[in-house]
Amino acid sequence: MAVGARSSLGRNRLYLAGLSPAAFLLALFFVGPALWALGSSFTNRALVGLDAANPRFVGLDNYAHLFSDPDFGRVILNSVIFVIGSAIIGQFVLGLLLALLLDHAQRRGFLAANFVYGAVLLAWVNPTIIAGFLWVAMFDFYNGSLNAGLGVIGAPPVNWLGQGPMLAVIIANTWRGTAFTMLIFLGALRTIPSDIYEAARVDGASAVRRFWDHTLPILRPIAALTLLSITMSTFGTFILIQTLTNGGPAYQTEVIALYAFHEAFQNHAVGYGSTISVVMLALNLAFAIVFLRWSRARA
Amino acid sequence: MTALAATEPLGAKAVEAAAGPPPRPAKRAGPLEWIVVHLVFLVVCAFFLVPFLWLLSAAFDGKASAYIQFPVQPTIMNFVRIFTEHDFARVLANSVFVAVATMLLVVVAVSLAGYSLSRLDLRRKDWITYAVLLLQTMPISATMVPIYGLAKQLGLRNSYLGLILIHAAIELPFLIWLMKGFFDSIPRHLEEAAWLDGRSKLRALIEIVLPLARPGLGIAAGLAFLSAWAEVLMVVILIDQDSLKTVPLAFYEAMRTQGGYTEVQYGVIAAMAVIYLLPVMVVFFAARRLMVRGLMSSTRGL
Repeated sequence: MAVGARSSLGRNRLYLAGLSPAAFLLALFFVGPALWALGSSFTNRALVGLDAANPRFVGLDNYAHLFSDPDFGRVILNSVIFVIGSAIIGQFVLGLLLALLLDHAQRRGFLAANFVYGAVLLAWVNPTIIAGFLWVAMFDFYNGSLNAGLGVIGAPPVNWLGQGPMLAVIIANTWRGTAFTMLIFLGALRTIPSDIYEAARVDGASAVRRFWDHTLPILRPIAALTLLSITMSTFGTFILIQTLTNGGPAYQTEVIALYAFHEAFQNHAVGYGSTISVVMLALNLAFAIVFLRWSRARA
Repeated sequence: MTALAATEPLGAKAVEAAAGPPPRPAKRAGPLEWIVVHLVFLVVCAFFLVPFLWLLSAAFDGKASAYIQFPVQPTIMNFVRIFTEHDFARVLANSVFVAVATMLLVVVAVSLAGYSLSRLDLRRKDWITYAVLLLQTMPISATMVPIYGLAKQLGLRNSYLGLILIHAAIELPFLIWLMKGFFDSIPRHLEEAAWLDGRSKLRALIEIVLPLARPGLGIAAGLAFLSAWAEVLMVVILIDQDSLKTVPLAFYEAMRTQGGYTEVQYGVIAAMAVIYLLPVMVVFFAARRLMVRGLMSSTRGL
């Protein structure tokens, strides 16, 4: 350190002051809400009326209710299906395949690869609520483009949002989020020099062998982190499902974020909604700690 | 090295690599391979682009439906209607105001915080960085209910102050981390020389350090603007006065009041969506790498 220890305390004091505006905002809108949710989860706080102004302490009633609530079991199951379907199967598998395809095409000098790359990215950068609107139209039973497409190949129309709502929201979220996985794997694949593949080919290695020996070792270390990352973001999905199905029909697509919202703002049970938020935050914190540990271990 | 490099958001390096030049072509492809690859490309593009093609056709169609086709009645009436019937000029002005104010607040806050975190000389500095990254993974959909309650008690509902503060806070964790990286790369002896010249710490920061960190500040400003422009959850729970409505809320309401017994006004909503998308697209085509980098950092659900 260029400057002596004598002035280090004074220097730090100013730096801590410099951190304070940001720290204030983070405390107010990240730590504050978490504590507020925890506090409210022990009360019968309501959205309107007497219990809104003077919530009563109810101890662990909300938690007892939550863990015996059959709807909550359903909601957790829905969330798990949605995460497995749209993050792990949809985004991860499709993203990986697209990365392999685009990397291969770029090594071949196919210019169309850049266009495809842009198309996948476009679905990802647009605001999520617009993605919801676009898929409302795509899934429309009578006029939607998806059923029109099925008609062209002679298949009967599907009542996407009525009969297969979970599949519908999974398709929409796969469409929206595939770019993330694709970008990460494409970045990793780029680091493999073409010469390695050439040399392996000259040595007579099959395509499968080349993939196994040279491609997989590059992808494996980041695969777990990518999965965890998209699991976290998919677990918090709210606006996409709200615009498409609003959790319905009959709770079939009600995931945890929607359940907290509906309990607080439709059933006016803010205390109970806060309890659900607390559970969600706790699950997310567990994911995040694992994520940060793994990323530290990797470097 | 501190823990910082070790815990950098997953995507930062990948984006640099993915957006860089492709590896040199290895071997010419045969015609069969060319055809197969391009057929797959066609299917992929159809999946990803058809929704956008529909959006454009619907926005410019006086008789828009969910069906994708060339406008039956090509017109810009849908755009005229959102301005005459939905008071969209005011909505747009509100949105621009909120996004610009958020951007300014974020730039000031992350300049101070990023610089301070970079220069801070504490034994447990890792922990601060670690905590910032932990906050970054907090889903805002999980804090919707408490933020509503908290904002109500603090009188921040139906106020732009509340909206601006929250939008700024949402972007802070990643941007603090990003700006710390920029400040780390600026040598300390530059500002130390300025101190010896008798400048205060703040003046040295503003006059010597910040101009060198301009590319980082540009990224921070751009991402803060976009995020505040596009963010919808906080607007939905905090604003219910018509005069305060911003673009995401107007779009949200237009969508949700449709259906049931009335015919869905696809054309009008599509026109709103096009305007809502416009700044996002401009940045996407002008500074794709910047935008992708910002998005990669976020593990928050929406």
